[in-house]
Amino acid sequence: MPASGSNSAVAVWTILRKECRSEWRTRYGLNAALLFALASLTAVSFAAGRLGDRSDVLAALLWIVLLFATLSSLSHAFVREVEGRTMLLLRLVASPTEIATGKLLFNVLFLAVVEVFAVPLFLVFTGAPPVRWGPFLAVLGLGTIALAASSTLIGAVIAQTRGRGALFAGVSLPVLLPVLAAAVSGTRQMWSAHPVAPSLRLLAAYAVALLAASLLLYDHLWED
Amino acid sequence: MLLRLSLFVWISVAMVVALLKAPLVPVLLETTRVLYFHIPCAWIAVVALGWSMLHSILYLVKRDLRHDDHAAAAAGLGLLFCIAATVTGALWAKAMWGAYWNWDPRETSIFFVLLLYTAYLALRSSIQEEEKRARLSAVYSVIAFVAVPFLVFVVPRMYDSLHPDPIINRRGKVDMDPMIVLCFNAMLVGFTGLYFWMQSLRVRVSRLERRAHAA
Amino acid sequence: MSAAARVVVSGVSHRFGPRRGLEAVSFDVAAPGVLAVTGANGSGKSTLLRILAGLLRPTTGSTTLELAGKEVPRAARRRHVGLASPELAFYEELTARENLAFAATARGMANVHSAVNEALGRTGLAARAADLVAEFSSGMKQRLRLAFAVLHRPRILLLDEPGSHLDAGGREVVERLVQDACADGLVVLATNDPTESALARERIELSGRGLDHPA
Repeated sequence: MPASGSNSAVAVWTILRKECRSEWRTRYGLNAALLFALASLTAVSFAAGRLGDRSDVLAALLWIVLLFATLSSLSHAFVREVEGRTMLLLRLVASPTEIATGKLLFNVLFLAVVEVFAVPLFLVFTGAPPVRWGPFLAVLGLGTIALAASSTLIGAVIAQTRGRGALFAGVSLPVLLPVLAAAVSGTRQMWSAHPVAPSLRLLAAYAVALLAASLLLYDHLWED
Repeated sequence: MLLRLSLFVWISVAMVVALLKAPLVPVLLETTRVLYFHIPCAWIAVVALGWSMLHSILYLVKRDLRHDDHAAAAAGLGLLFCIAATVTGALWAKAMWGAYWNWDPRETSIFFVLLLYTAYLALRSSIQEEEKRARLSAVYSVIAFVAVPFLVFVVPRMYDSLHPDPIINRRGKVDMDPMIVLCFNAMLVGFTGLYFWMQSLRVRVSRLERRAHAA
Repeated sequence: MSAAARVVVSGVSHRFGPRRGLEAVSFDVAAPGVLAVTGANGSGKSTLLRILAGLLRPTTGSTTLELAGKEVPRAARRRHVGLASPELAFYEELTARENLAFAATARGMANVHSAVNEALGRTGLAARAADLVAEFSSGMKQRLRLAFAVLHRPRILLLDEPGSHLDAGGREVVERLVQDACADGLVVLATNDPTESALARERIELSGRGLDHPA
C-alpha cells in the first residue's frame, strides 16, 4: 500500500482521536492541568493584586501562567507512551511524522481547553482592562500553536531520557523564550491599542521554522 | 609541540603588548583592556556553538560518532568561554555603568546562548547509551539552531524596547587606534587557535575513552 | 521467478553498550518458509527482529527486504511486516477491539471492521473483544499481540517468543497462524522453545554474548 497524502491525514486523524479518547477515559492529564492552571493563576493574581492599570505587567503574568501550564502538561503526551510502553505499537502503525503531528494537534487542543478555563479567570481575578477580542484571540491562537510546536518536539526528545519534569522545563525554556517574548509583546500591544501584527508575524515565523525543522527531525527521534 | 609553543608565545606577546603598549580608548579608558579578553571569549562562544551545531547535523546525516565527539567537546568548551564572556562582561558593565546586569541586547544574547549550552549539556547527561545520547542531543542541537537567530537577534531587541533605558552601543562610534586593532585581532586569532587546540584534545580523549570501553 | 517475499541479512550486528548486543549474523531466506532464530538469552533475537522490522538501525551490516522482487525501503517495512514481540504493549484504557481498530485505521486499511473481526477470530479473542486491555491476563495480551501482527495480512511475519504465556489452545493458535502465513509468505520465529522451532524448516542460531558469557 503506497504512502499517500490522504493516508497520512487518516493516520494523523486516527492518532488524534485515540489521544482524545485515551485522555477522556483516564482524564488524569486534563484534570491535573486544569488544577495546576488554577493554582498558578491564583498564586500569580493574588500576589500581584488588582493590576487594572498595569497592562504591561498583566501581559507578562498571563503568559507566565500559560507557560507553566505548558511545561507541566505537554511533556505528558510522549511520556505516557513511553511509560505505557505503547511507543512500539505506534511506530508500527504510523510514521514518526504522522505520530508527532497527531500529538501536536492534540497538544494544541489540550492547551486550548486549559486556556478557555484559565484566561477568563485570569482577566477577572486581576481586574484586567477590556480586551480587544480580535487581536487577543489572534495572539492567543498563534502563541498556543507556537508553544505546542516547541513543547511537542522537545517532549519527544525528553521522553526518551531518564530525567523528566525538571529536565523538560530547563531544556525547553530557551526554545520557548522567543514565543514568550513575542506573545507578551503582542498582548501588551493589544492592550495599549497598538497593532499586534509585528508580534503575530514573529510568532508565525517561529512556529513555521520549528514545524519545518520538525518534519526533518522526527524521523531521527525514534530509532530503537 | 612547536605549534603549541608558538600559540603560547603568540597569546602572551599579544597580551603583554595589549596591556602595556596599546593606548586607551577615550570613552572606555582603563576598562579598554577588557575588550582584549571579553570579546574574544564571546567570539569563541559563538564559534563553538556553530561548530557544535555543524557536527550535530553531520552526525544525523552520517551517523559517525566522531561527529558527536566534536559536538560534545565544542559544547563544553563553548560553555566555558561563554561563562567567561558573561562574567567579564558583567564586570565591565559594573565599571562602566555601575550595574552588573542591564538586560541590554548583547548581555541578553550571550545569556541566552549560555542557557542553550547548559540545556544541551543537561540533556546529554541524562542519557547513558552512547548512540541515543548522540542522536537526541543532535536533534536538540538542530532545534536550538532554529531558535538561535530569534534568541540572538530578535528577542533581545524586543525586550530592550520594552524598557525605557537607552541602548548603549559598547563598541560605539569610537575611532580605534591601529595599535588597538592590531592587538585585538592578534588576540582573536590567538583565542581561536587556543579553542581549536583544546577542542582537538577533548575529541582525542573521547575517542580514547570509547576505545577503552570497547576493549 | 522472484519469490513473494525475501529477507537478506548480511553482517548485521548491533551494540547497545560495551557488552550487550547482537553479534554479526548473515542469512538469506525467501518465501514460502519458516525460519527459526534461536540463541541464548541476550544473544539478540529480539534485536534482530526489530532490525528486520525497520525499527532499529544495525551498528554494522545491512538488511534487505524484498516483496515480489522489489526492495522495500526501511521506513515502509512496517506496512508489510507483522511483528509480535513481548515488548509490544497496548492501550490499557481501550478495549481489545478499539486497539485493533486503531491500528487498522491508522494504517489506512480499507475494511477495518472485517479485518479486526477476522484477527480476533483467528486468535480466539472474539468473546473478550469488548473488554478493556487492563482486564486482560498475560495470556490474552499475548493473543492480542498475535492478532495485531496478522491484522493487516502481512507477507512477512516476525514472531518473538510467540508461545509465551499461552495455554495449549493458545499454542495451537500460533501453529495455525504460522501455517497460514508460510503458505505464501515468510515467517521468522525467534524462540528457544523446541516445539516452536520444530515448526520451522530452516534454523539459525545466534552466537551472541549471552548471559552465560561474562565479558
